[in-house]
Amino acid sequence: MAKVTREMVERSGVDVDVLLELLIKNAAAELTTYYYYTILRTNLIGLKGEGLKEIAEVARIEDRNHFEALVPRIYELGGKLPDDMKEFHDMSACPPARLPENPTVEEILKVLVEAERCAVREYTQICNMTAGKDHRTYDLALAILNEEIEHESWFSEFLGEGPSGHFMRRGETSPFVSKFLK
Amino acid sequence: MKIFSKDELKYFDGKEGRPAYVAYKGRVYNVTNSFLWKGGKHMALHVAGCDLTEELKKAPHGDEFIKRFPVVGVLECK
Repeated sequence: MAKVTREMVERSGVDVDVLLELLIKNAAAELTTYYYYTILRTNLIGLKGEGLKEIAEVARIEDRNHFEALVPRIYELGGKLPDDMKEFHDMSACPPARLPENPTVEEILKVLVEAERCAVREYTQICNMTAGKDHRTYDLALAILNEEIEHESWFSEFLGEGPSGHFMRRGETSPFVSKFLK
Repeated sequence: MKIFSKDELKYFDGKEGRPAYVAYKGRVYNVTNSFLWKGGKHMALHVAGCDLTEELKKAPHGDEFIKRFPVVGVLECK
């Protein structure tokens, strides 16, 4: 644990135990999403599904990167991941992104967009809690939020809700979060 | 429809096998089966057995989520 780091965050008025619980729940959401997206991506098949497979893959890899980026901050602040993987799964900040019973491309897209919307809400909340107080957690949560917003807009576009307004990734992943992974 | 006092509502805290109920704008909702209300706690910040009307104003979502749950009663207004 980084003692002074934690002390500075506490002195700024953030309840570090609540923040840690949120960070751990969101780390769980990222890792479980990585797992469930593996199944969703695999089931994006056929003429309509094939084009989406790579985009779902980018979101899957970036969600794993979010997990990797969150873990050091959890330990810096004096938290830890649960020893039990099942416990970790069940404390996720977002419901499991399970393969729908009728796994059409559209139904899979609905699961994907709902998962991203949950993430956008969660990181917005962490940003709101830490803005101007816990600079490092804020910077991290904001970087993740930027990527989650892009994921949401991609899947929303494919559901016919309107243009995403930007391009897909071109070769790289995690343009915002990569600085936390070095 | 059952009328809950605030004290009665406190019993339904989602702990030790008890159901998890929350109140919002006078209605009492059963959130027991929600993945996000396991153990009567939601997102490290909110607990079951309480009136969440004020807390929901600060949440990163609207009331469309709470309105999906079954209504089990109304909160006594006094």
